[in-house]
Amino acid sequence: MKYRISSGMRAMVRHLQWVLPTALAVTTTAVSLQASATPIFARQTGQNCQACHVGGQFPELTPYGRMFKLTGYTLGQRTKLPLAVMAVFTGTEQKNVGAAPPNSAFSFNTASLFAGGKITDNIGFLAQYTYNSPSTGTGPFIGPFSGQAGSDNTDFRYANRIVNDSTDLIYGVTFNNNPSVEDVWNSSPAWGYGYVPGSTNGAGPGFLAPILDGGLAQQAVGAGAYVYWNKTIYAEISGYRTGNGVFSFLTQPQNPPGASQTYIAGTNPYLRLALTHDWGDSNAMVGYTYFDVNQYENGSSGLTDEYRDNMVDFQYQYILDPNTVTVEVSDINETVNYGSAGSVSDTNSLFRAKASYTYEAKYGGSLAFFSGTNSLNNYGPSMFGNGTSGWTPEIFWIPVQNVRIGYQYTFYNSVGALDLTGTPNYYDTAQTLPITKPGDYNTSFLYVWAAF
Amino acid sequence: MKKLMTVVVLGGVALVAGCSDIQSSRDLANPNLSGKQLAEQVCSFCHGAQGNSIDAQFPRLAGQQPQYLTEQLKAFRSHGRSDPKATQYMWGIARSLTDNQIAELASYYYGQIPTHGAPTNTTLVAEGDKIFHNGIPATNVPPCFACHGADGHGHDNFPRIASQHANYIIKQLHVIKYTDERPQAAIMKGVAHGLDDEQIRAVATYLSGQS
Repeated sequence: MKYRISSGMRAMVRHLQWVLPTALAVTTTAVSLQASATPIFARQTGQNCQACHVGGQFPELTPYGRMFKLTGYTLGQRTKLPLAVMAVFTGTEQKNVGAAPPNSAFSFNTASLFAGGKITDNIGFLAQYTYNSPSTGTGPFIGPFSGQAGSDNTDFRYANRIVNDSTDLIYGVTFNNNPSVEDVWNSSPAWGYGYVPGSTNGAGPGFLAPILDGGLAQQAVGAGAYVYWNKTIYAEISGYRTGNGVFSFLTQPQNPPGASQTYIAGTNPYLRLALTHDWGDSNAMVGYTYFDVNQYENGSSGLTDEYRDNMVDFQYQYILDPNTVTVEVSDINETVNYGSAGSVSDTNSLFRAKASYTYEAKYGGSLAFFSGTNSLNNYGPSMFGNGTSGWTPEIFWIPVQNVRIGYQYTFYNSVGALDLTGTPNYYDTAQTLPITKPGDYNTSFLYVWAAF
Repeated sequence: MKKLMTVVVLGGVALVAGCSDIQSSRDLANPNLSGKQLAEQVCSFCHGAQGNSIDAQFPRLAGQQPQYLTEQLKAFRSHGRSDPKATQYMWGIARSLTDNQIAELASYYYGQIPTHGAPTNTTLVAEGDKIFHNGIPATNVPPCFACHGADGHGHDNFPRIASQHANYIIKQLHVIKYTDERPQAAIMKGVAHGLDDEQIRAVATYLSGQS
């Protein structure tokens, strides 16, 4: 039997030629800095990143990490300098960009400044301010990098906990700028797979993602109340509104140049329910989220379109040194009712599943599947259709607790109007990219992600 | 808009000023927090509110010997114990605890009623039972009860091992056998070396089902 090396493998080998020296350089730097510089919550608690992040794979939370967040980031002792920084270096290459220039690029992608932690015994926060570097590549998978800094995920909390022989009740309020950023499970969109800045976002383009999947991230602000009872039932009610005016510090200037603020009408409800269970070395969650948003079609007045999202999600974790296994599944189904008279509804859906394994919190791998579809009632087939689906295997290495180096390769089964039969490309309406099959969009992605 | 802003600002001020509640504080640097409060507000994250953890990474503390627990907490504080979970979790938790808080924590957990598992592998349980009561003369392993008591409840600085999670005992016996990360448990090193992996699993399984 003969084995053929696929173009994906060749791309991987090409990347590895420069991955190694880069990784060594970053590791050396990280090791030398580690003793005096660790991220903000680790300093507050005096603990290792692994205490809160499963097998060290930030940002996925352990049961302990979830409790830390639900109790308002208040465990530990206040730090003198509640700041941390994060930087992400990435390399991206799309298999075939047609007539466009080659898009292989290794670049400094993102840097974030974090502030956060305990303010009082019951109040804490996490605020992220991010600089996105301009893209050095081209093609639909690169960017949009705004080349400017702006507010990123932010979550202020008040939380209290009542514990006695029969009851364990956590209750609190959250004020944040991204629907689901307050969530503690990694099957929800804000902290779900695709969390590596610059990656294919666990889905890829060519379709319209439901609004719950980051559509209002740093565009809206919301406040809500939650309870978590006996480590069994979590319930939350929040409301989101446009993040303008006095709240624009949480949204601006995150928008890329030329883009405008997304305006939603009034206060829009977000509901979250989750059932959780711990047993032996395992824990699991089954959850449901409802989000109903009225967004202005144009500007900040006039007709609105209603986006009604229902998400069912599931998470499983097995954690026993030196092994961890995590599984996250989410299925978002959205109905869009347009304000224009006579319009018929559209539906958008996004299904994601990911399983990962880590060994000794140093070596890990994951396999992710994604599938997004759109109805075509109000979009011509020249824009969307068939949806986008594919697989992303990833391997990663965590040489020290605050550095993660990984490589992903995303295989597309379908992209936008493309399908495996080789249907001519309609994704790019201008037809400037002579891409004929989904596999042309396959993307090689390498990252070095560090936080200090 | 102005009304909303006023509500947000006033609400924020009220939260900061009035709702801070030391009864539910998780401040590990505040010496005024009692051991019971720390146990309920902090330790319960992993060990359960009454010291009966579910996750086997974290030991059951209910009914644990206070002298043993005191020594362990002080060892975490001084970095005298350095197995992985100690460094990842407990060094940070214990770094600012006072001697008084440690004593109160030890007393609190000793006063809690332990729960225990129900192992189903009867062969392992029987093998573990034999090791607990008779030791393994061929490898100079003494019976566990000789130090840990007839019922495995421990005494003084010999820990309670009955009702402990099997996976936790296995982990600790491996730490003691292969590393020097728990110097206070040096007395167990010879014992651990006399046990192979299957025997460790047997005795751990047996103990997890004992009350």
